[in-house]
Amino acid sequence: MVESGYYDLSVSFVPESSNRVEELAATAGHLGYSGIAINYPANSKISSVDFDFEDIEIFSAVAIRPKNASKIHSIVDRYRDRVDLITVCGGIESINRAAVENPRVDILTDMNMGRENGFNHVLAKAASDNNVAVAFDLGSLIRLRGGNRVHALSNFRKNLQLVRKYDVPYLLTSSPQSVYDMRAPRELIALAALFGMSREEAIRGLSTIPEAIISGNRPPEGYLCEGVEIIGTDIEDECSRGDDIV
Amino acid sequence: MKILPPTLRDGRRYLAFELIAEGPVKRDDLIREIFSAAGSLLGDVGASECAIRLLAFEDMKGVVRCSPERTSNTRAVLATIRDVRGTRVLFHVLGISGTVRAATKKYLAGVDVFNPVEQSHINE
Repeated sequence: MVESGYYDLSVSFVPESSNRVEELAATAGHLGYSGIAINYPANSKISSVDFDFEDIEIFSAVAIRPKNASKIHSIVDRYRDRVDLITVCGGIESINRAAVENPRVDILTDMNMGRENGFNHVLAKAASDNNVAVAFDLGSLIRLRGGNRVHALSNFRKNLQLVRKYDVPYLLTSSPQSVYDMRAPRELIALAALFGMSREEAIRGLSTIPEAIISGNRPPEGYLCEGVEIIGTDIEDECSRGDDIV
Repeated sequence: MKILPPTLRDGRRYLAFELIAEGPVKRDDLIREIFSAAGSLLGDVGASECAIRLLAFEDMKGVVRCSPERTSNTRAVLATIRDVRGTRVLFHVLGISGTVRAATKKYLAGVDVFNPVEQSHINE
């Protein structure tokens, strides 16, 4: 089994905290991740992440926390071309629904608010159709205790059933706010097993699915715009005719 | 008393771990935190099935023993530990072995505990 290529696409960038992106990246690399996405809060300054780390890729993401569902689409459009990933932090069903119905959204996280499960079969179908990944935030299993964790676990169990049935892309995330909130991929696999996720499913949620989301958003080499790409530049010297093939 | 025949002995797994922490952590406090996390996540019944026990713990590295059928649950328990007496910690399992000796030799000998602040400077 391939034991590399794990991604955590949920690392939060908290401007006030002392944890720098470098620390988060170094720790993630040490724990065995090959890529992380730094989630900036919407309306904050998004510095382009250009750190050169040898063993870890860093993606930029924006975490949208909309007050109501109608705002989502305009915010998504504003950030779509500026970041690698767009994450919507849901909570109530109307927001979750707007997120999964927008194909430009990549990830829906925080679907559940306390006892209420904000996810259902209708949303699962929409998420599958629009290729919006739902995140199982295992960080909540770490943060919560007692009754709240019981609700989180039973919601995850229910959501896993829907994810399997409708073939929804899913992610395992730990949503760390600091280096001490991070957990190694194998620990996340063990946490996912608590609500019935198999080892293979968990590995997919940490590796192939996030990889597919990222490569889907990063245009292939030579990409100019929709439908136009450079496939070769050899004949450029001979004539001034562009060799862009439509 | 006659010794317990090997066929009747319980199997064991040994989890070598490092504790990435803000500050120093005492062994007694860590034990208390592990058992409280196990009790909270799995209940007393589940925790007893795991048979978790902290063996060596020195220089923020150590070995946890558990039942071979419950390594996944034990890992999950260890992952839910956030702080030990207010010191934030990251419990990182480095590897699992069938004997203490192998776990120590393979995963702990000569390994320096990761320090997020120092490492990030090296990388820059």
